[in-house]
Amino acid sequence: MAQALTPGVSFDRIFLADNRYQAEGYREGYDAGIRQGKLEGKAHGASHGARVSAEVSFYYGFALTWKCLIQNKEDAKSKKHMRCVETLMTRIDDFPLGEPQYENLLEDMQKIRTKFRQLCSLMNVPTDFSDYTRSNSQMTF
Amino acid sequence: MMEDSLVLVERFDAHPDSRCWHVAWNPTGTVMASCGGDRAIRIWGKEGDSWKCLSVLQDGHQRTIRRVDWSPCGTYLASASFDATSCIWKKKNDEFECLTTLEGHENEVKCVRWAPSGNLLATCSRDKSVWVWEVDEEDEYECVTVINSHTQDVKDVVWHPTRELLASASYDNNICVYKEDDDDWECKATLEGHTSTVWSLAFDPSGQRIASCSDDRTVKIWACRNLDGPGDMSWTCVCTLSGFHGRTVFDVDWCPLTGALATACGDDGVRVFKEDQATDPDKPVFSLVAHISKAHSQDVNCVSWNPKEAGLLVSCSDNGDIALWRYKGGQE
Repeated sequence: MAQALTPGVSFDRIFLADNRYQAEGYREGYDAGIRQGKLEGKAHGASHGARVSAEVSFYYGFALTWKCLIQNKEDAKSKKHMRCVETLMTRIDDFPLGEPQYENLLEDMQKIRTKFRQLCSLMNVPTDFSDYTRSNSQMTF
Repeated sequence: MMEDSLVLVERFDAHPDSRCWHVAWNPTGTVMASCGGDRAIRIWGKEGDSWKCLSVLQDGHQRTIRRVDWSPCGTYLASASFDATSCIWKKKNDEFECLTTLEGHENEVKCVRWAPSGNLLATCSRDKSVWVWEVDEEDEYECVTVINSHTQDVKDVVWHPTRELLASASYDNNICVYKEDDDDWECKATLEGHTSTVWSLAFDPSGQRIASCSDDRTVKIWACRNLDGPGDMSWTCVCTLSGFHGRTVFDVDWCPLTGALATACGDDGVRVFKEDQATDPDKPVFSLVAHISKAHSQDVNCVSWNPKEAGLLVSCSDNGDIALWRYKGGQE
């Protein structure tokens, strides 16, 4: 009961309680926020990563199929098409799927999408793969 | 100061109840093709003293046709549409038939242009990409490259008058210049300077300069010193025409014969600029020499000089009209 003998300290405790509980509350809330954020971030990253992976894998399968179909053809046109197939596959091979911090991620992803579209055009395949690829639809002039 | 004149020769309703987006002269300057919101291309020829519609090309596109361009030989016509495709039309005994449809863009195709050789075709789209297509002897078209140098909607593509060099203008306020390098096309220069959408581009007859027009109400003249040099090209803005246009400048065309620069503006006006001869070519000065303030009752979408008849200018507008103008330079 030593504290009771020093009214100044006791008074301070009451007087500063507001501050102290606010600081404590902030810290607890902060920790809880971090935990929650980690969970949400993880879920978001997992779903986003799965989408990117599914998209890229789809392109790879598409390219591989065309490679099997045309790799033995000797005409000049098929050879040109083969170059496009191979460029697409190289771009996917070089794409660091396991590295989410990779700085050129968006740029490289765009290049892969672009090559895929070119291949579709060369092969006369309608590019209606909206389940696998992304698209947007606003009007502009 | 304006001693030159721009006189109306003829005006006609080209795309009734619709916008007329673009009008293009054939290489001999005898026939025009126009396109519009009515999804039709109309071919116009002169009969007697006036221009008559010779044929209507329909059923090629599902949506607005934004752009038409004649091949250098004058036998083919290319059209770009908001339905995400481009059509190639071939002339056969005064009739046109749709030869092929180029598919590949994700959404609205904004422009299509033939290279001067006639072997290449460029298209651009709201999907931010520029595509180059190769034409073979059997009239088959193949995409040789897809370029993604812009971060927004690409509004216009234009070929250099003599070289295989391509420039594009975009909603991202920039202009990109491309060259073929090691079997692929690459952006060799990015021209930054406009503060809003760049709507259209035009090379001067020599190919040393590009004129660009923008939503920022200016026209800029860019010059290149090392067009042939190795490595990246360096383009610099040598002149900015500001204070002349009341609204967005939608189109610019450099006359191959007289060197006069015409603009189409959202303030319904058509203007002609000429370079002052006495000035330093590195710091050119352009003067407004002719101006029709209400050339059309709505936005002017396109201006185009006749390639053979000096001073004959055509313009078209949101109200569906086409107007022909005779430009007379005071100094000549």
